[in-house]
Amino acid sequence: MSILANKDTRVVIQGGAAGVNAARRMAEFCYLIKRPLNVEAFVYPPDAGKTNEIPYGSGLIAIPVYKTIAEATKNHPTINTSLVYIGADRAMKGTMEALDDSHIKVVSMITEGVPEKDAKLLGAHARKLGKVFNGPSSIGIISAGACRLGVIGGAFDNLVLSKLYREGSFGVITKSGGLSNEIIWICSQFADGITTAIGIGGDAYPGTDYVSYLEMFENDPQTKAVVIVGEMGGDLEERAAEWYGAKKRRVKLIGVVSGFCQESLPKGMKFGHAGAKEGMKGEGSARSKSDALKKAGAIVPATFGALGPAIKDTYQELLKSGQVKEVVEPTALPRLPKTVEEAMKADEVMVAPLIRTTISDDRGDEPCYDGYPASELINKGYEIPHVIGLLWDKRLISKQEAEIIKRIMMLSADHGPCVSGAYATILAACAGIGLSQAVAAGLIMIGPRFGGAVTDAGRWFKYAVDNKMNVDDFLAYMKKNVGPVPGIGHRVKSLRNPDKRVKELVGYVKSLSIKTPCLDFALQVEQVTAAKKDNLILNVDGTMAAVLVDLGFPVDSLNGFFILSRTIGLIGHWVDQKRQDSRLIRLFDYLVNYAAPKRREVPPLK
Amino acid sequence: MAKVLEGPGMGLMKKWGIHVPNYVVVTSADELAKLGQANDWMKASKLVAKAHEALGSRFKLGLVKVGLDLNGAVAATKEMIGRQVGSITVKQVIVSEMVAHKEEYYCAVKSTREGSEILVANCGGIEVESNWDRVKRLCLEVGQSPSHEALEKLAKDAGFTGALTKKMADFAGKMFTCFDNEDAQYLEVNPVVVRESDGELVALDAVTLLDGDAKFRHPDWNFQFAAEFGRAYSKDEVEVMAVDSKIKGSVKFIEIPGGDTAMLPAGGGASVYYSDAVVARGGKLANYAEYSGDPPDWAVEVLTEKVCSLPGIKNIIVGGAIANFTDVKKTFGGIINGFRKAKGDGKMKGVKIWVRRGGPREKEGLDAMRALKDEGFDINVFDRNTPLTDIVDKALQKQ
Repeated sequence: MSILANKDTRVVIQGGAAGVNAARRMAEFCYLIKRPLNVEAFVYPPDAGKTNEIPYGSGLIAIPVYKTIAEATKNHPTINTSLVYIGADRAMKGTMEALDDSHIKVVSMITEGVPEKDAKLLGAHARKLGKVFNGPSSIGIISAGACRLGVIGGAFDNLVLSKLYREGSFGVITKSGGLSNEIIWICSQFADGITTAIGIGGDAYPGTDYVSYLEMFENDPQTKAVVIVGEMGGDLEERAAEWYGAKKRRVKLIGVVSGFCQESLPKGMKFGHAGAKEGMKGEGSARSKSDALKKAGAIVPATFGALGPAIKDTYQELLKSGQVKEVVEPTALPRLPKTVEEAMKADEVMVAPLIRTTISDDRGDEPCYDGYPASELINKGYEIPHVIGLLWDKRLISKQEAEIIKRIMMLSADHGPCVSGAYATILAACAGIGLSQAVAAGLIMIGPRFGGAVTDAGRWFKYAVDNKMNVDDFLAYMKKNVGPVPGIGHRVKSLRNPDKRVKELVGYVKSLSIKTPCLDFALQVEQVTAAKKDNLILNVDGTMAAVLVDLGFPVDSLNGFFILSRTIGLIGHWVDQKRQDSRLIRLFDYLVNYAAPKRREVPPLK
Repeated sequence: MAKVLEGPGMGLMKKWGIHVPNYVVVTSADELAKLGQANDWMKASKLVAKAHEALGSRFKLGLVKVGLDLNGAVAATKEMIGRQVGSITVKQVIVSEMVAHKEEYYCAVKSTREGSEILVANCGGIEVESNWDRVKRLCLEVGQSPSHEALEKLAKDAGFTGALTKKMADFAGKMFTCFDNEDAQYLEVNPVVVRESDGELVALDAVTLLDGDAKFRHPDWNFQFAAEFGRAYSKDEVEVMAVDSKIKGSVKFIEIPGGDTAMLPAGGGASVYYSDAVVARGGKLANYAEYSGDPPDWAVEVLTEKVCSLPGIKNIIVGGAIANFTDVKKTFGGIINGFRKAKGDGKMKGVKIWVRRGGPREKEGLDAMRALKDEGFDINVFDRNTPLTDIVDKALQKQ
């Protein structure tokens, strides 16, 4: 037996993420005691119509989310209990809704920071309806072997250690959520464990107080003794003492009260929960509460530390008098399936990784590029080209190499609005398309005819240099096997109208004392091709390609330099159009050569 | 519970129709002089100047001056602003008109478990404190408003007669309306006086405690709440409060000068038992601290640094019950980082650390704490099998 929460308790949880977390904890308990999940529904208007997936054992249970309590109880008429996880500013309304529903008999509120007036109104309303309103700020209610409401009881291991899978003989009532677990643990170690433990919350005016629950425990034959953990402030403990002393009670009462430190603290200083406030003339002090409990005949250990032995003594007495019997523990208990991560940590499973990475690691407090922490790179003066070197070629490049890459990027960042990439981005921007999609539209243009020849140019120049080919053999090989030489030729530029970017880059690289076999070869090729035709010059793709191959970058990464640099320009074009609030672009029909058949009659469908 | 200073407290009463004297709150004598030119009452009536800070015994400290003219009030303000009383610097002065009166009465509304209680006495000032039996009460259930008849009966029971009965009943009714609508926990006017000029009841002094949790529905609460223990918050206390206001869960920190046992326990319930255990063992608390509700590790780290910075500490009690959902490994991670920083700053010399905890990931958390021994910390770590406050016994026995 138990009070408040039992095997027939069916729950609706009001609230979002915190409520889902509670449901998970409750499912762990249900799994431990081999009972179906006791959560029937959630009420959370933003997610109404969806389901929350609650792990149970190794499976998942989908619990529906409703907009209102009425919808939840209509669809799940067995619901008799509500747990409130709604924010303090909305908790009152939601809780009233639950109290007013005829199916619901118990409402427990977890929300903290609820205005006192709201808590009092809810308490009064519940009393009027003959229902239980527990909380606010309650950690929950747990009946061993029967029902868990909320996160009370803690992690799965603790449920087992505290023997919550089967009932004992001790009732527990605490204000503090943390101490509820501690007392449950003590009862399981010094005695036979608990029947029901209730967190009433640490607020000044909890909806239900010790006396109401003591009365319920008194009427629960399984509960032989009740442990209450009090705090200074208010008069709930005094009322409990009064109840206990009023007549002979069946249950034994064990009580401790905190707040003795108050006597030696500076005046006015108060600690702990909101309810921990001392009255003007010493009423509500830890001492007066302790004294009241003692006077009423309760067992009051001098300190918290003496609580365990006091519980033990009580249990031994109960054993002796035959009121309780020694417990026989079950031989096997369900074990909570481990998650893959937990099982791996315990060396119980081996998982074949899905992907493998050799360049970066994000598992620490900051990303490491090829092993180097990003902040350390920054602080030691490294720059973007070095990051490119680490992530694309897994090496820390030199200052000189970084300078070359920086120049390549600056030279290819943009080339005006008319080229395919920029034009595509502008078209998209003017159609109201977002940044990432519009830039992607521009990037899609990069290919064999626009900006995408860097990799191929690098590949074939490298092929020639690696195989020590001369220019004539190379051109012959290309003509036979590949086609036009990538990196050679320009739509508008020519020998007489040279590309300044190429001149600039070649000039700089040649001014350095580094070996540039690929670039030298490319320039030789240009001499031959440009002599044949004026515009068959080494273009910017070819120049970049040759230089980057000379720096040692892998051929397959070369297009990346153009894609990366040009992204700067594409973003600029998108922002530029956005800033101007440009209109949708539509081609004028005079820009189209309509070469389609003239208008004609559609033949009947056959 | 949030204490409100006199100025904003009187403002709330005025809002609900209670007569209060004219008053201004100023931060400099110049400001008062300028206001004096603009407000006729400041020239026409005698004035009272009081330091507008959360200080007790202001009269004894010379921080209340009565019977002043405007020049006198300006001089008094000049004298009070900037005065240092303990850790509080006087920054504001409230100047109000003196209300000529003969009789003094008492009226208060306080929160009770059932609802509230209206208190009325036909004596006031210090007289009411020595004649507490003359205070009459009207108990109200939450959601219930007092009827005129009930209020008049209360006034009559308290000994009011004639026209004053109705006036006192009205006054008490307005006090209740203010209490109810402003989510107050305690309102007290002592004294309530009969203004000679028009015979109206006026609130001469206001004690106002509001429910800080209800702030969300009072956009006009634009004032700051005052510290409740007669001293200003310290820099470290303010910093921890700032962290607390930003996070899920909570961290709390109050300094107690002169102590040598520093507290760093978890949970609002257990932390008080730890403090009790220190006091019971004859130890001297250096602070109160608490972290609860699974706060982020960085917040616990800030709290730890503040605890380690307390002067003259010999022991740090890292206690805690068996947590329901606070991640022991993660929160201990914050504490460990705080310890390391403090050690780096040379603050942990001769300081013993005592740990006891249970809860989610307790083994990993406790193991991490134990490993601090290898870094040269004087640390003793216990698990759930050691009763809650035994670490305090061990810590203080060894001294």
